[in-house]
Amino acid sequence: LLQTTGLVGLAVAENPHERLRMLYTKILGVLQNIPKDAAYRKYTEQIVNERFNLVQTETDVQKLQDKLNSGQIEEVIVQAENELSLARKMMQWKPWEPLVEEPPSDQWRWPI
Amino acid sequence: TVRPKNEVEQKQLCAFGEYVAEILPKYIQQAQVTCFNELELLIHPDGIIPVLTFLRDHTNAQFKSLADLTAVDVPSRQYRFEIVYNLLSLRFNSRIRVKTYTDELTPIDSAVSVHKAANWYEREVWDMYGVFFANHPDLRRILTDYGFEGHPFRKDFPLSGYVEV
Repeated sequence: LLQTTGLVGLAVAENPHERLRMLYTKILGVLQNIPKDAAYRKYTEQIVNERFNLVQTETDVQKLQDKLNSGQIEEVIVQAENELSLARKMMQWKPWEPLVEEPPSDQWRWPI
Repeated sequence: TVRPKNEVEQKQLCAFGEYVAEILPKYIQQAQVTCFNELELLIHPDGIIPVLTFLRDHTNAQFKSLADLTAVDVPSRQYRFEIVYNLLSLRFNSRIRVKTYTDELTPIDSAVSVHKAANWYEREVWDMYGVFFANHPDLRRILTDYGFEGHPFRKDFPLSGYVEV
């Protein structure tokens, strides 16, 4: 484990706990800026808090990977970075508002 | 013989469809699960890039792979073209279909910024149907001949074309 991840292009992360802790605090900080009743904020906070607690209680890397059950630690770090960039973009797009425009009534009828 | 119905998978897909529809109510008009256990999300065209980035980046829906990008021509509708994106999640081994609509003259946002694979697929849709993609890096013909006029896959294009070969 401590030599290579086995995945092309992903280097072994030294100190993954620190990195994950930093990323999750950043995500939670970004989530504070979106309205409290948005479903995105609710579900993402749930996921992030769950993973945050697991990272803080478990210090062994191998056991943490098994508990998270989501591939290697480096993959979890990449996923957290993606979640952070998604949260930043969600702040601009605001997808929790009601529907932009109704489709024409025959648009999604199948068979025609 | 008939394919046996997989109730568990259908329930899981229904639940996931409701989950996504709850998070993105601004763009999702409908979400449906076919009888063959295929989840489809029907989107307003303004919401392509938000929905595709959400499906790619969110932890519960890591649809990293764009398997297909096509269009369907239904000439009797007001918005005649239906753009279809097929996504695959490697982490959760599941597929999802995202559908949008447009007519002949309205451009659609390009998915290249979200999935690099969409480049040639969008060139093909432009060539065959005439759907223009805004912010595409290099939108030109890919399958038709160099001086070809017309968009062959449209329903009003005749089978043997307009020019004699």
